[in-house]
Amino acid sequence: MKNPDWVDQGPPETPLPEQTFFEDPAIDRAFAVTMALATEVWVLKDRVMALEAALARSGVVDSAMLADEPDNDERAAHESQRQAFVAGLLDSLTGRQASAGAPEMES
Amino acid sequence: MDDRSFVAAQDVILDMKKYWTTRLYPALKAEYAERAAAVGESPQTRQQVTELLGSTTSYRYFAWMERHLQRMKYSGRYGLVPYHHERAADLRNTLPDMSGESRLELDPDFKNPVYYETVDVHQHPGGVWSEPTAGFVYERGARSTTPMLGARHRDLHGRLTDRAIRDGIPDRLLDMGCGFGKSTRPFYEELRDTQVDAVDLAAPCLELAAADAAATQAENVRFRQMNAYETDYDPESFDVVTSTMLLHEMPPEEIGRTFDECARVLKPGGRMVHLDFYILPDAFAEFIHYGHSQRNNEPFMVPLVEMDVKAELETRGFTNISIEPFQEADGVDVENSPFWRFPWTIIAADRP
Ligand SMILES: C[S@@+](CC[C@H](N)C(=O)[O-])C[C@H]1O[C@@H](n2cnc3c(N)ncnc32)[C@H](O)[C@@H]1O
Repeated sequence: MKNPDWVDQGPPETPLPEQTFFEDPAIDRAFAVTMALATEVWVLKDRVMALEAALARSGVVDSAMLADEPDNDERAAHESQRQAFVAGLLDSLTGRQASAGAPEMES
Repeated sequence: MDDRSFVAAQDVILDMKKYWTTRLYPALKAEYAERAAAVGESPQTRQQVTELLGSTTSYRYFAWMERHLQRMKYSGRYGLVPYHHERAADLRNTLPDMSGESRLELDPDFKNPVYYETVDVHQHPGGVWSEPTAGFVYERGARSTTPMLGARHRDLHGRLTDRAIRDGIPDRLLDMGCGFGKSTRPFYEELRDTQVDAVDLAAPCLELAAADAAATQAENVRFRQMNAYETDYDPESFDVVTSTMLLHEMPPEEIGRTFDECARVLKPGGRMVHLDFYILPDAFAEFIHYGHSQRNNEPFMVPLVEMDVKAELETRGFTNISIEPFQEADGVDVENSPFWRFPWTIIAADRP
């Protein structure tokens, strides 16, 4: 059986071709961002669990207490931060812009 | 990157791969069955499967995950390659001094075949050969190549060993494309009276293989940097020649030359046993395998499955040819696995 032509030619001009699987490659790339973040989330969770275990071992925290439902005061204390988090996450869905732009150019 | 973060990231990427293997693949297969039933006939070719499935959202995500989970495993923030690069000096220091070591023979002037340097196989940047930590990267990565096998992966090589010595214990055995010695190890460990030779192109892998053998004090094995289809062995040197996952990494002409080389170095009546990916039971399996070849940067997987291996062996005078599915672990259904798996196949024949 014959070899494909490129076998003896060495690396192609574009040695790192992107492979895309969706009709709009923007989805390929955006999903890659999501998956990278998902990995980071797990790395953080893993770190928090290790931290909790270490703190529990040295008697600084009580792991069971950490898992208890927070009381209303604590929830209220976190509320403004939580809302800021939500706004930061979702603001761009509105399409609202923050800076004054030049008028759109005629194309 | 700290060790804990690296391990956490690699573990979660592996779990995603397992999900892909055991959840996304069956879901895709079920969708395929539904679509085939809806049109009233089951596809006979992979092109027909592509028509049914190729542009579905499920398949796009399946394909995306296959490519990118492997990319995330090797590169990117928590990839095997940057992790090992950061630790290059320390890792090199874990290797024993190998000067005067009979278990290792490297050739400083060695030149790789062009095909070998063209593509980063398995999406391993730089391949298993181009830099000093490449062997460590490959070794670490291979602990999870076949997501479903996990720790049982050793089982696969043990099974091949059993298969290769079915007809008797060889005096001399050659393992071609031995990598870091994972496929060679059960031979030299379990067959203490067999002299085992193992060759590969990749010096960083051979170093690891030899260090491993030295650690177990095996006296019956040598790892040598050599091209499988151009060895320096005398004709009729070996009773058995093996390879594991080598053929699909070579272009078809080089596979032919490898069979020639096996015929040359085998003793009359000697047997060669290759474990690779070949028999595809149906059009769906073909569709999946062709896609894998593309997405995982394994361009020679496809020419191998398109090759008429039986005819290639007959032309070379091999006899007692057997080409059959290989069960890589207990309980695997080789005809119709519910989970994704490689099409493991034994290709064996005798030199008359
Ligand atoms: C997928 S690995 C398998 C390694 C090992 N047999 C195992 O099962 O772990 C394929 C190996 O084949 C080697 N290889 C590719 N082309 C080769 C050639 N022409 N001669 C010798 N080795 C080759 C690669 O360097 C790589 O180590």
